[in-house]
Amino acid sequence: MYQITLKNDGAIAENNKPVTSGPLIFLGYQVELEKDYTLRGFFRMFDQYALLAKLNVFLPDCLQRYRACPANQCVSSEIDHLQFHKTVEMIGFPGDPRLEIYNTLCGVRGAEACELKSFHLESLLDMPLKLGKLKHVVFGDKVDVFEFETVFSLFEFIDGIIWELSFQGTPKQCAI
Amino acid sequence: MFKKLLFATTASPTCDNAAKVAFDLELKWDAKLIVLHVLGVPTRGFSPFVTDARTGETEECDSDYIDWVKEEMQNTYGELLEDSENSVLEAVVGAPHREILRLARKEKVDMIIMGAHTRQEDVGATRYRAIAGSTMQKVAKAARCPVVIISRPCTTCWKLFSNIVIGTDFSKPSEYAFLWAYKLAKEVGAKLHIFHACDISSGNFGQIQGQNEIEQKINEARERIEKKYISKMKGYDNYDIEVWEGIPYVEILKFAREKQADLIVMAHHTRDIDPEQALLGSTVEQVVLRAACPVASVNHPDKVADLDG
Repeated sequence: MYQITLKNDGAIAENNKPVTSGPLIFLGYQVELEKDYTLRGFFRMFDQYALLAKLNVFLPDCLQRYRACPANQCVSSEIDHLQFHKTVEMIGFPGDPRLEIYNTLCGVRGAEACELKSFHLESLLDMPLKLGKLKHVVFGDKVDVFEFETVFSLFEFIDGIIWELSFQGTPKQCAI
Repeated sequence: MFKKLLFATTASPTCDNAAKVAFDLELKWDAKLIVLHVLGVPTRGFSPFVTDARTGETEECDSDYIDWVKEEMQNTYGELLEDSENSVLEAVVGAPHREILRLARKEKVDMIIMGAHTRQEDVGATRYRAIAGSTMQKVAKAARCPVVIISRPCTTCWKLFSNIVIGTDFSKPSEYAFLWAYKLAKEVGAKLHIFHACDISSGNFGQIQGQNEIEQKINEARERIEKKYISKMKGYDNYDIEVWEGIPYVEILKFAREKQADLIVMAHHTRDIDPEQALLGSTVEQVVLRAACPVASVNHPDKVADLDG
């Protein structure tokens, strides 16, 4: 109940039936990803549900970059897959003590996570995309991070991925 | 053009990209480079103890400790220091932004170079933190010289300077930013891209602007650029003017990517407000975090005074 599955062809499915009506009602639903889901599947979703492209100011630009990429073989040998996870972080210093909750898209290689800002979209589109866990970081201790099972809503999933991709942009000439 | 540079560093890997640019600039401009690390905040008054700026732990700070910090800095930047001809390392105790500004004023530096934020990972967090890095924010707000903020590895940009983008909103600080960008473009022979984004996200709530209205605004902005800026360029013709519509920070980032910009120059806060009241303009902040190239924030006329008028 209140769960949708995102298919790699871009369709949103509820109870195994593709959604054909307006997608906004599903923004608060829990997201599950089809097996072999890739980042390209994520972008295909906006071809089918154009209204969702209005959710983030960076989405039109990201879609433009996506459409300029090759139709297949957009993979990177530097990571095994992409992972979307949530972080709850208690921070005591510097600044006032605070709790931050945010979603992150990162690359995973072995057991290591790596940030994506130096990757180009054309090396990520066909990488498998998986949902990760909730990481609880206490006072900057990045070694003993607690991990918990969690769920993501469709809004968190779209917004978190686009937020992360908006930081991409290292020019090719700088990557040489 | 740059005789004295100040590189403010956390002496951590997050500043490595900025360090490379700082040392590159020192060699390119034959300038003096001051590498400054503010190691901690005094716990109170004249206390011999400091709260380490990075770890938050209390340390006893005496001359030995400062020497040890300098030695650590020497090790951190060993490779870069080998090639460096005119650089000095400084480690001081105090509130980071205050010490950076104090030294910049005392040494009359031409430019401050900084990293964007102290934590490299978790860009997601910056969204809710609302600030790019509080030290950077405070320095950029109050510095009388341009502050260049570097958040990406961009080793080629400063050496092969060919495209400088100046984002303007026609405010007074934007004018200073323009003059500085023009001065730099002329000096290095780069192309100057004068850019303005007509903000169509604001205005009357719920009222959608028609295409004609937007186009009229674009034409007006273009005329304004020609009248306000081109007249000051005294014959320099390696420039172009672009006016796009949209959300300013999104458009500047897109424009900079399209033009393969090596530097984006903007005013610190783009509206005509009291500098004391201004937080880092949200447009600059969003651009700083995402731009692939360094971003220069210019706020005061000091370093462009010789060009004004």
